[in-house]
Amino acid sequence: MIGMGEKSRLTIAEFAKESRIRADSYHRYHIDTIETKDRQSLPNRFLVSVGKLGLAKLLIGEVFEYWGKWDVVFARPCTYGVFSGPVGGFSPRPEKCVGCLRCTIEHPEFVTIAPNPALSSLGDSYLNSNIISTIDEEAKKGIVPVRGQGYRGRFGGPGWDGMFTDMSEIVRPSRDGIHGRELISTIVDIGSKPMRLQFDVDGGLVSAGPKMMSIQVPFVFDTPAESVMTPRLAKIWKTAAEQVDTLALIPGEMVTSNNLASPSVVPVISLDSFETTGSFKNGTRMVQLDGWDPSVYSSISSSNPDLMISIRMSFDAGWQQQLNEMIDAGVSVIHFVANNHGVADGGRFIMEIIIEAHEMLLKAGVRDKVTLLHTGGVVASDHLPKAIICGVDAVGLDLPLLVAMQARLSGDTSNREGYMAKFPRRFKDSWACQRIVNLTGSWRDQMLEILGAMGIREVRRLRGEMGRAMWCTHLEEEAFSEIEGFIGGGI
Amino acid sequence: MAKNKLPVFPSETMIHKITNLLHDGMEARTTGKFEIPPALGDARWTDELILSTWHMAATGTLPENLNYKTGKSNGGFDRLDFKTLDEEQWLKHSEDISTSIELNRRDDHRKKLSPAIPIYGGGMSYGSVSVNVMMARAIHAKNWNTYMSTGEGGYPEELYECRENVITQVATGLFGVEEKSIQASPIIEFKYAQGAKPGLGGHLLASKAGEEVAKMRGSVPFVSLFSPFPFHSTYSVEDHSKHIDWVQTINPDALISVKVSTPHDVDMVAVGSYYAGAHIIHLDGGFGGTGAAPEIAKKNIAMPIELAVPKVHKFLIKEGIRDNVTLIASGGIRTADDIAKAIALGANGVVLGTSDLVAMGCTRCSNCEGGPSGRGCPWGLTTTDIELQEWMQQDWGVKRLDNYYTALQWRLRDILRKLGLSDVNELVGRTDVLVYTRSDGK
Repeated sequence: MIGMGEKSRLTIAEFAKESRIRADSYHRYHIDTIETKDRQSLPNRFLVSVGKLGLAKLLIGEVFEYWGKWDVVFARPCTYGVFSGPVGGFSPRPEKCVGCLRCTIEHPEFVTIAPNPALSSLGDSYLNSNIISTIDEEAKKGIVPVRGQGYRGRFGGPGWDGMFTDMSEIVRPSRDGIHGRELISTIVDIGSKPMRLQFDVDGGLVSAGPKMMSIQVPFVFDTPAESVMTPRLAKIWKTAAEQVDTLALIPGEMVTSNNLASPSVVPVISLDSFETTGSFKNGTRMVQLDGWDPSVYSSISSSNPDLMISIRMSFDAGWQQQLNEMIDAGVSVIHFVANNHGVADGGRFIMEIIIEAHEMLLKAGVRDKVTLLHTGGVVASDHLPKAIICGVDAVGLDLPLLVAMQARLSGDTSNREGYMAKFPRRFKDSWACQRIVNLTGSWRDQMLEILGAMGIREVRRLRGEMGRAMWCTHLEEEAFSEIEGFIGGGI
Repeated sequence: MAKNKLPVFPSETMIHKITNLLHDGMEARTTGKFEIPPALGDARWTDELILSTWHMAATGTLPENLNYKTGKSNGGFDRLDFKTLDEEQWLKHSEDISTSIELNRRDDHRKKLSPAIPIYGGGMSYGSVSVNVMMARAIHAKNWNTYMSTGEGGYPEELYECRENVITQVATGLFGVEEKSIQASPIIEFKYAQGAKPGLGGHLLASKAGEEVAKMRGSVPFVSLFSPFPFHSTYSVEDHSKHIDWVQTINPDALISVKVSTPHDVDMVAVGSYYAGAHIIHLDGGFGGTGAAPEIAKKNIAMPIELAVPKVHKFLIKEGIRDNVTLIASGGIRTADDIAKAIALGANGVVLGTSDLVAMGCTRCSNCEGGPSGRGCPWGLTTTDIELQEWMQQDWGVKRLDNYYTALQWRLRDILRKLGLSDVNELVGRTDVLVYTRSDGK
């Protein structure tokens, strides 16, 4: 007999059966990525130009020089298939070119490889063509992009590029989470945890317990510009969020009119339609109020005690005052929003604003009582851990999801409401959903790489861990301050 | 070649044709006979830096019309320049200006190793590169009385003819580590981390881990190899000391090098490594090269070498041990000017990897991990494909590297003499000879 108490005693057979049931029910979280082909391919990376006369001359010359050795005559200077068509270099296949440049070095007289301006002109100064190409690859393959050779870009740079994440050289508890050898958790909690428990004189618990939910990844799917969001897109957001086990933020009226309510959907409602708050059923766990009004918040939170109410607000000038009011009012989920370039509060980059908000919560002694979400300016996989290091619990993704669906963005792409998106002409919802799932799988795995390098076993521990960050300007100050001409890093 | 056709060992005629085309084409681009390829280069390795490296490798001299000093990365080495003396104070350019450094600064029984130049070759494993590349680097190291590292992929039999100039690397996957190769080497290098992928361990993707490579590494062919991180036997600096004891038991004469990347506490790691018994602290910065690494790791994890070297140099001084240990910098060092700047910031010498490959024809296209063809480098450098690897012939590679290092040494001496220094060791930590510029150097 096994077990301490009389009632809990099991026979060995029962214990084994129970253990088997528990073991079988264990599911290690994993995002199932499947290679999902393009519907609207990006322009080729390179333009390939071959002078036909030069090529013909070369071939004729080689026919005589290597007569009978046809493999030598027809050996092509490309291992990627650019010249593998029926007529070889007379009709090259630029879509296969990876820019190794062997052909143009071997035959400078008549082969030219040039960057394709149609690709480099995609995007804007922030969500640039490099980032778009990377997201496209991540959404297609769902894997961590791995390449040879080292870094190719600027030394430091503005925004997120000015931050390096730290790593642990020797002493490190986590090992290769991405390869499945050890669990590194990316779960984050949304909601409020009490900072301490309170008991009465008899030892009974009198304080409220935690009121929160967990999502498996430190990002949610945020609603894109109103002109872009359609019921179809909302359904795709919802389905992908359910697959990944995160949240999709969708305008409330769209949730209602399309029956999208679900535990994974967060209806976003305006302050004037707050009466609809309680109307979302079907397991809705949280709604988001688009704006801050203490009386509205007080009213709906008291009439919907089981629903989490989050507040969405811009990082506009004076946000600190509103944050303090929300802390005082007991708001448990605050979702800040900046423009698509991560700029807010009179031109400040979100990195420093997030740090300020995080530190305000720390100073108020309520950090665990409040979940901080942020949308705007997180468009690449490295931005995600960097934003968390600065102090958010999770970030909102919108533009990267559109890019994953191969939408071409136009208009004022820095403005959250000022851009348009042109989607592929024909696509299935399942295709779009898988592209988004692939992107999230890739970003989560890259997150695991960063966490693994640091020796951190859960993303929750990364929040606000600024000791895990190194700022280029600080390091330059330390390294170069005694050098003549140095007037501060990050020039 | 059609994509689905299996590679075959190429005939002599084929090798002759392809290598001639490549060599002639490289020369045509560097001499200005044809314009600079518009798709060549990036901010760190600009088109001019690549072509100037080709020029040096072809001629042994510096180019006249190409920037061979700096890239356009807008920071670090590219913002530093030298405060040279007035021309009348310059020393004469001569071989009397010493470029030799001492690798063993400990007062112990081991050999004193003094390479003729403050440079040795960084680890590139068999599998990540071909035997031709490894042998070219090893023979070149022998010619220059310097060293090259095996990387983490074992010690191909051919390398034993250069054993006095080959560093055996012991990395976290322990691939190909054998007593025989540890006994053969004058220096044993423990690779704790690599600048291009700090905290992640080595990567060799399946397509490049073929039969021969797998045999050398004791692995299964065509299975991706991800080295663990860190050493599974190391949880502390004390454990690191045990590692060194283990190697010393096998080869008591070898110097010990500890290769680490550049986290916030790299200075503490360096001191710990010294007290554990290291002769060489090798810092590999975040802009370093690699045969394969997650893109997110490059640049985003750990700091650039320019920022790590002064940090460690100053801390070693503070701890009173700077004169007892050799500090080597790598990871983003591209030119002779970078070498001199790294030394002025506090290093004793540097390790080059990518520069060696560029000298042998690399265009930095980033397909070393296999690329869409799965065969690796089309130039025959970072591949073990039986056909492609023949495009880089060993003798040619040795000649290119010898020429390249001749030019590097010439420029290094040129910098030293213009600073009034007659020995590269006098440059160590001399930040007073540097100036920070407001734009990328010329």
